[in-house]
Amino acid sequence: MPTRKTFIRELITNRILFIMLLPTIVFFLINSYVPMVGIYYAFTRFDFNTSLFNSQFVWFDNFEFLWKSGILTKLTLNTLGYNLAFILFGNILAIISAVLLSELKLKWFKKLAQSIMFLPYFISFVILSVIVYNLFGYENGFLNTFLKSFGLEPVDVYNTPWLWVILVVVFYIWKNLGYSMIIYLAAITGISEEYYEAAKIDGANIFQRTWYVTIPMLKTTFIVLLLFALGSIMKGQFDLFYQLIGNNGVLYNATDILDTYVYRSLKVTFDIGMASSAGLYQSLFGFVLVMTVNSIIRKVNEDYALF
Amino acid sequence: MKKKGKLLSSVLASFMIVSALAGCSGNDGNKASPSDSAASKAAPSESASASSASNETGLDTSKKVELQFYMLGDAPKDLPAIQSEINKMALEDLNATVKFNFTSWTDWDQKYKLLLSSGQPVDLIFTADWTQYQSYAKSGAFLPLDDLLPAAAPKLQAFVPQDMWDAVRIEGKIYTVPATYKEYVNNGFVYREDLREKYNLPVPKDITSFEAYLDGIKANEPGIQPLSMNSDVRQNLMDVFREVNDDTIGGPLPYGIGIKYNKPGEFYSYWGSDEQKKDLETVQRWQQKGFFAKNVLNVKDTLQDPITSGKAAAILGDNPTRYNDTMSKMQSTHPDWKLGYTPYAESRGFATPVHPIHNGFAIPQSSKNPERALAFYEKMVTDKRYNQLTQYGIEGKNYTVEDGYYKMVGDNTSNGFLREGMQGWAWRNPEFMLFDKSYDGVKAIFDKLDAIAKPDLFTGFVEDYSSYQPERAALEQVEKQYFYPLYAGLVKDIDEGIKTAMDKANNAGLQKIQASYKQQWLDYVAKNGIK
Repeated sequence: MPTRKTFIRELITNRILFIMLLPTIVFFLINSYVPMVGIYYAFTRFDFNTSLFNSQFVWFDNFEFLWKSGILTKLTLNTLGYNLAFILFGNILAIISAVLLSELKLKWFKKLAQSIMFLPYFISFVILSVIVYNLFGYENGFLNTFLKSFGLEPVDVYNTPWLWVILVVVFYIWKNLGYSMIIYLAAITGISEEYYEAAKIDGANIFQRTWYVTIPMLKTTFIVLLLFALGSIMKGQFDLFYQLIGNNGVLYNATDILDTYVYRSLKVTFDIGMASSAGLYQSLFGFVLVMTVNSIIRKVNEDYALF
Repeated sequence: MKKKGKLLSSVLASFMIVSALAGCSGNDGNKASPSDSAASKAAPSESASASSASNETGLDTSKKVELQFYMLGDAPKDLPAIQSEINKMALEDLNATVKFNFTSWTDWDQKYKLLLSSGQPVDLIFTADWTQYQSYAKSGAFLPLDDLLPAAAPKLQAFVPQDMWDAVRIEGKIYTVPATYKEYVNNGFVYREDLREKYNLPVPKDITSFEAYLDGIKANEPGIQPLSMNSDVRQNLMDVFREVNDDTIGGPLPYGIGIKYNKPGEFYSYWGSDEQKKDLETVQRWQQKGFFAKNVLNVKDTLQDPITSGKAAAILGDNPTRYNDTMSKMQSTHPDWKLGYTPYAESRGFATPVHPIHNGFAIPQSSKNPERALAFYEKMVTDKRYNQLTQYGIEGKNYTVEDGYYKMVGDNTSNGFLREGMQGWAWRNPEFMLFDKSYDGVKAIFDKLDAIAKPDLFTGFVEDYSSYQPERAALEQVEKQYFYPLYAGLVKDIDEGIKTAMDKANNAGLQKIQASYKQQWLDYVAKNGIK
């Protein structure tokens, strides 16, 4: 058994490094791996009187409600679609604004712009929902009062599902742009000045410098962020959807995601088994997705892959 | 030398981790020892009988304990002061202290469920029909009190009348201590009386006269929304609408089921019936007349706030006590406005006093000190000092008593403990209760309703949904997605809307749910001799 031997030798030679690694391993064991025992809940009938492993094993009964109303596909597609839009538009806009900000020379303006963009991140979704209602409410909303003052027809935003596909994405980006931008801004700061100087000497203008130096240097950051985001792609932005859409069933076809569906279904029926089954479905889906995308990336360029 | 330093620091680091771990597992050990706590649960009843000779309460109070008390809603500002006063007495009487915890109203139902299922120690928790007491009791979330009561709280056992104990039994066992105060939570129309007089509008007595009233408001007061309504159109619009218009037995009735108070043995599907169609036509007309916001499904105000601020003129249905609160709140800022109230009983001909299940306190499975918890709760109900302190606060600081009436010190914002500030509905004791002068109005309504009282036939029914759990969850979605827009009057073609909604509901398993519910209901009716 040569592999085991080398592993033990490795362990002995690098013992200090392994001891230093230990806290991280323990941390993940406690917080991420031990709780996985709870997956078992997804296959049992919850009972107040006994412990988890004494409960009745019911196979896939708990998953039944997910496809009972026949909307699992639609929910999955909605969740995927919104998250892809969030990732795509969010990252593109974040990169653009990070590049623009990094080129700014006026320091106070740069700081100010950055703070203003970051501010929405701290607004809670509850407040956002109030703001949005006051913008788009039919009778007294800002938009319709504005339209009416010009003698135009009021728009019934809250009963027009397709509009929300856009609005949800817009509000998500408005809220999160400042945060993701900072990550890219940090990455740009990390790019050595020498590249730019060399490019300048070669006669590259500012657009060429951005396109041929900055953007390629951000690629790794982008891919890492992308892979992280893909892992939770089935976990929609619950707060956002729940607060913006709430009880408005008219909009559900366009805006319902797995999280809100599960929340609504189980609000009345609180059943740990069914809730776990939905969580398991989301996690498995995310796991498969990350593995697939990572292996594709590894095939294309091994350096960029996460593992 | 340098290497040694490195080694030392890493060893230190790992020590720290280990000690942190030990802390964790220590906690876990406390939490996950159901067998231990079960043993200690069983033991005290023996020791209680053994030590009863020495201790007059028949309770082993040798060990000091802290009780975890959970109530819904928000904690009053002065709670710490009240709690320390209570603890002084409880320590002396029961060698126990109590921590009053509140869930706040935000997502209280989620929190409530987690409290009961996560295994964290909870000694006393509020129960009601609307917190699903019946289902939780049936599924074993609470401890049966039958054997605990004589040992730990004999006074409380004697204080609550036997028929109330019997009424809260679930499958033969008592799981909650019911409140004994008799009140009515039947709904009634709430409307701005001063506007009614000003424009000489009819008094709302049924749906027709209510609509005429709303028409009058719409025509004369363009700045006021006639009807206060929010996104919960099922509970705040349809359920109350059916209560006054369709003679529902009580409820709210789930799964689109229809049962009439006067014909409890007849079970029908309200969804898809002509009755529903007629109701929805009325609601749609209201929507089109602009009685409430077009985007009502996204309105998150309470029903009462727009009334007190003068933005809306009427509520379709509210109970007498809350009507009274709304009125006093409104008049504190607008003394010249008047608020009128017509109980549905005027058109229905009867009212039902609350079922004993409506307010109570139970001891969850996770309680480590059930005897002491029950003994403490006995004090809360039957000891005047405990009771008035937790209902009205500190006399002189939070309230005064004038001619036998409760009088608040200061106003709603300056006073740190309003009347029943801890939402103490469940431990109200009629002998110790103090009422605000304005409450005389509610008492007058109650007196009127007393004359035409009939028993609540519905609340004693315990639904067992274990056989249709998945269908139930799926149906919830269908109702929100397809019935809520109908309830809000937003669907233009009602026939078409009902048809789509029914198709979706049937796909989700409506037939199976209704059939099973029907069987359970008919069994209940037959067993209890309800006709």
